[in-house]
Order: sequence, then structure tokens, then C-alpha cells
Amino acid sequence: MEITLNTDKIHISTGGKAFDPALPTVLFLHGSGGDHRTFAEQTRWFAYHGFSVLAPDFPGHSLSGGEALKSIEETGPWLRDLLEEVGVKRVHVAGHSQGSLSAFELARIAPGTVKTLTVIASAAAIPVNQALIDTALKSSDKAAQMMCNWGFGPGAHMGQSAVPGMQPIAISRSIMSRNPLAVDLQACADYNAGADIAESFDIPALCILASEDKMTPLKAGKALASSLKAKTVIVENYGHMLPLEAPKQTLSAMADFIQSQETKG
Amino acid sequence: MSKSSYLKPATIALHTGYEPESDFGSRAVPIYQTTSYQFENASRAASMYNLEQGGHIYSRISNPTVGVLEQRLAALEGGSGAVCTASGMSALFAIFITLCSSGDHIVASEQLYGSTGTLLGHTLKRLGIACDFVHINDPDAIKAAIKPNTKLVFCESISNPGMQVANLPMIGKIANENGLPLVVDATFATPVLHRPFDHGANIIMHSITKWIGGHGAAIGGVIIDGGNFDWGASGRFPELTEPYAPYHGLRFWEEYGPAAFIMKVRAESMCDLGAALSPQNAFLILQGVETLELRMEKHVRNARGLRDWLLEQENVKWVRHPELDAEDFVGELFPKGAGAMVCFGVEGGREGGVAFIQNVQIATHLANVGDSRTLVLHPGSTTHFRLDKEALAAARITEDMIRVSIGLEDLDDIKTDFAKGIKAASRVAR
Repeated sequence: MEITLNTDKIHISTGGKAFDPALPTVLFLHGSGGDHRTFAEQTRWFAYHGFSVLAPDFPGHSLSGGEALKSIEETGPWLRDLLEEVGVKRVHVAGHSQGSLSAFELARIAPGTVKTLTVIASAAAIPVNQALIDTALKSSDKAAQMMCNWGFGPGAHMGQSAVPGMQPIAISRSIMSRNPLAVDLQACADYNAGADIAESFDIPALCILASEDKMTPLKAGKALASSLKAKTVIVENYGHMLPLEAPKQTLSAMADFIQSQETKG
Repeated sequence: MSKSSYLKPATIALHTGYEPESDFGSRAVPIYQTTSYQFENASRAASMYNLEQGGHIYSRISNPTVGVLEQRLAALEGGSGAVCTASGMSALFAIFITLCSSGDHIVASEQLYGSTGTLLGHTLKRLGIACDFVHINDPDAIKAAIKPNTKLVFCESISNPGMQVANLPMIGKIANENGLPLVVDATFATPVLHRPFDHGANIIMHSITKWIGGHGAAIGGVIIDGGNFDWGASGRFPELTEPYAPYHGLRFWEEYGPAAFIMKVRAESMCDLGAALSPQNAFLILQGVETLELRMEKHVRNARGLRDWLLEQENVKWVRHPELDAEDFVGELFPKGAGAMVCFGVEGGREGGVAFIQNVQIATHLANVGDSRTLVLHPGSTTHFRLDKEALAAARITEDMIRVSIGLEDLDDIKTDFAKGIKAASRVAR
């Protein structure tokens, strides 16, 4: 669906079903240079299994208009406004990489909004090499290629795909190369509030981490999980792009966690 | 580097899409000779049918052996995904029917393989899909042919048998500026010699029966999505951007973005039309893929050698090869050589052509190209017999034309064999 937020036309994937604010809602937040399709293998499942789904493209990304938000701090109010606009008060939030930092900010400025937090392949801070940011400023495609080289694990580079015939690396690169990757990477590099927010977190949390994650290494992910007092699932032999590389494992962990929390009320 | 992997083509051809499986460690890709796949549970079954999750359901739609071939070919071309089909022609039909409905229109090169021309000019016409054929390297002709209901521009990267090299960067630019994808039949080049996505193509198909399989043992086709066309911005493709009823209103572009087209091919054409590649054929073609780079080097070397030898023969009237009298862009598009096909004319017209074909021994007279063995054909009386005189002329087919697909034999033996045929043709002429 499309909404207008701060005069920008914003695209929100609802997983192939009409959005119903009366249902428990899962909010999916994509990472640097990504879009809602990062979660193509999760959103549709939730939408057809008793949940409403909101998977927005952040401003300036893929199907959304406007200019990219320049800091992680700006994404918190933006998400709060988005939820107000669609009439949702509480959501399960799932963030991949940079998306989990935005989830922290939403939880910080709108406590009570976040029912549960699912962190996918992330850490409390995501330092970014300045050379990568400089490359992204010059060529989004080259930076996207570098990101995909590092981001995807060994299986994807050998052509593994959960969806027959698909090339997750090529798909991600195509999306990233058209999006404001440099702005996103700079926002990640500048953000340092994650550790403090995580320490004060008292919301049920799940961390889905990848053993071969080179972007947010497993050690950093485990530290975040410890701060969040989160349940942790480690997916072996996969890299940073878990929702695309290991969609079944990602969905399974998410579904178990969110459904069980929903049952608890 | 491929867009799909940090591996280089020769490595992709051998490894992509398959690692020794856990149960028996089979190093070769196993043949999954099965119609269908046991569901883990009822919930997963339902979610796979509803495209919530990926996986194999039924071998008409996807199969693990075929899947390995799809992964390799998509990676070799640098595409976002691939679907293999029962033949090159079924690949073409799946592309056209995915993008076009009754009332739509296609702009295509006038130099095409005979059955492709018939599909576009006659068969699709019966379904209400019209086609205008143009000189594909004439930018004004392409622009003039594009209509409000046009859905795609189509050409062969090297035409069969005209040997015309399509100026893909120019054609792709015109197509994209008009909100149209450029669809390319890249059979004659293979991804080893030419990568159309790097030069303006948006969708590639191959008859993998030819050099990719390379041994004349199995028929197959492949469709590869470049993931580089904005179906939403085009505004011409409600088939991809608007709700699709069979999947509860799924919007392919919204859901899959760079893989929207190829997902629709699988969800619609493979499900509803069912021209699936068999796992046995996928296995045979995979054997060819593994040595594709090595074979193409020799195919090209032999083709150039035979071409140069033919040019020196007194009784050969003319020789056509993509690198002869080529425009500058040919070398840029085909840095490793422009394929392994040569056409030439013998003395004695049609009878001379027949005499040539009947007097060669190593070269085989048959309706295929891209075999490991040298093949010869008289197009005017075989592959293109359905074309009228005007269409034959537009396709640069003459009565004396011999089409040669140069194989991997010793070049001296091929020359000796051809010398016999040329001599026989010149006897007819006298």
C-alpha cells in the first residue's frame, strides 16, 4: 500500500494481503541500500498466517519517494509517524542489520510501541569502513558489489538459493545499486546509541545471527543479544544477508518467537 | 566477476548451484528423476503453493537437477534468475506470453531463425499479438515501429543464419527510452563469448541444445532475467505491476523487484503451459556447461581458420562471418570471438549447394548447430523453407548458401572434407 508521510509517497508492502490494523502486526525494517523485498520470503508467510504486515521502503529507497533519512536517529520519529498514519499502536518489530538500529530508535522514542524485537544479523553498532562509504558516494553499483561480496556467505557465492533458479546476490546488488547506499552507510557509521538502548531494553527479544557474518560479526551479535537478554538463534554457514540466504531458517525462528509471544499476550 | 558470485566463469560452470550432497557425497550433479517432492508438513505445502516460501513442488515447475543448471546459467550471464525450458522455442514462447497479451505488439529483427520468425509472424498473430520486423541496426526503423501497445524489442545477438551482429547498446537504449525491455536470443554467442546484460539487454534466452549443451545429445532452452529493467516505471506492464488473480492478487514487481519477470515465468508459464526441461536432459547439458569455456575457444579458433581458408578458395563465391567487414562495435561486444558459425556460397546455385552437402563426409548434414561435430545445412530448403522470397532476402538467405557450424575436429580434416564438397559443387556449375 502507499501512504503519504511528510509529503513523501511511501510504499509499504503488506505481504500480499490487505492491511488490517485489528490483527497483530509485524513491522519489517530493511538494512542499508535494501528495501521490503529483503523479507520477501517472510512477509507473505506472516500475512497469510494471522498477522498484518508492514514492510516499508524507507524514504528514497526503491518504491518510496522522498530523500533518504540521514541519521538513524531520524528513523525513530519517522517510524512512529508511519505507525500513527496506519493506525497501529503496538507492533512486533523485525530489523535486518541497519533496520535493527532503527528499531532501537523506535523503542527509545516510543516506548510501548514495540511489542517484541527481532534482530536479524546485526549488532549494537555497525561501524563502516570509510573506503566503502567513499566508494558508495562515487558508485552505488561498485559499493553494492562490495557489500554483496562481503554480505553473502559462502553458500550464496556457490549458487545456493532457497528459491529455485534465483540468484540472491544478483537480486540484492540490483536493488542496492539503485538505492542511496552511501547515505545509509554513513548513518550506520555515525550511530553510537545502540549499546545504551540495548542495555536498558526490557522487551522480549530474539537475535537471529549468522556464523559467517562479516558485516556484523557473530561476536558483536552475541554481545548485543546478551545486552538485550534475547533468545539467540545462530544459523551456521550463512552470512549477513540471512533473510535472503537462509529464508527458511530466518522465518522459522521468527515465527516460533513471535507466535509464542503473541500467545502469551 | 559475475554479478551473482565472486567466482569467475570457468569456476561457475563447474561448481555453481551444487556442492556434494550430504548423504552420499556425489561429486557429479545427481539426476533427480522424480515427478514430485514430499512435503514436510501441510503448512509448508500450503505456503509453497502460495509463494510464501521457495522450494520444489513438482518437476514441471522446478527440479533440483534442472535448478543447478538454472543457477549456473544465471550466474554465467550475470542475471537475477533463470528458468530452463524444454527447448529454445518454448523459452521464446514463455517470454512472449509472459509479457504480451492479445492486442499487444512486438518489434523484432527481420533476421531471425526460421521458426522464431514463424512464431512471431504467424503463430502469435493467431493469439492477437502482432509483430513488425525491422532492420535491427537501423535506429530510425526501430523507433518508427514502436507503438503504444508495443511490449518488447527482440533480436538475435548474432542472427541465424544471416550472421548479422546486433548493435545491442544502441537497440537497448532505444528500447529502454521507450519503456520497453530488450529481449535477446544469445544462442550463437554463449555467455563465454558475449554478455548481453553488460550491453543493454534485459532478458536473454538461449537454445541450450546448441553450444551450451554442445554435444548434440539433448534439447533445452533457458530464460534469464537481467534484473535490470524497471517494470514499474515503464507503465506498460500491468501483467507484472497489477494484482495477479491466480496468486491472490500478488504483484510480481512489488514482491520480487529484479526477479519479477522470471518469477512470473515460473509461476505462470511453467505451471500453466508446462514446457519443462527433463532432469535427464539437464544432466546432459550440465556436462556441456562444465567445459563450455574450453570448447568455445576451439570452436572460435576452428571457425576463424575455416573462414580464412574459404576466403582463399577459387570456387567459393562469398563468405560470411560476423568478424568480416565488421563494424567497430562487433569487436567490443565479442572480445573473444564472434561465435563459430560461417556461411558461404558455392558455385552452381541451389544444385551446387546440394552437391556440396552430399559430398562432404566428416561434416554432417542436419538441422542443428553448436554440436561438437561440424554440421552443414542448406537453409533455403530446410530451416527457412517456410519463408517467402521477400523474407528470405531480408534474412540474407540465398539459394547457394551453406550454413556451417564448425566443430571441434582437427581443422585440417575439416578443410580436406570441405574441399571435396566445393569441388563437387563446381562440377555441377560447369
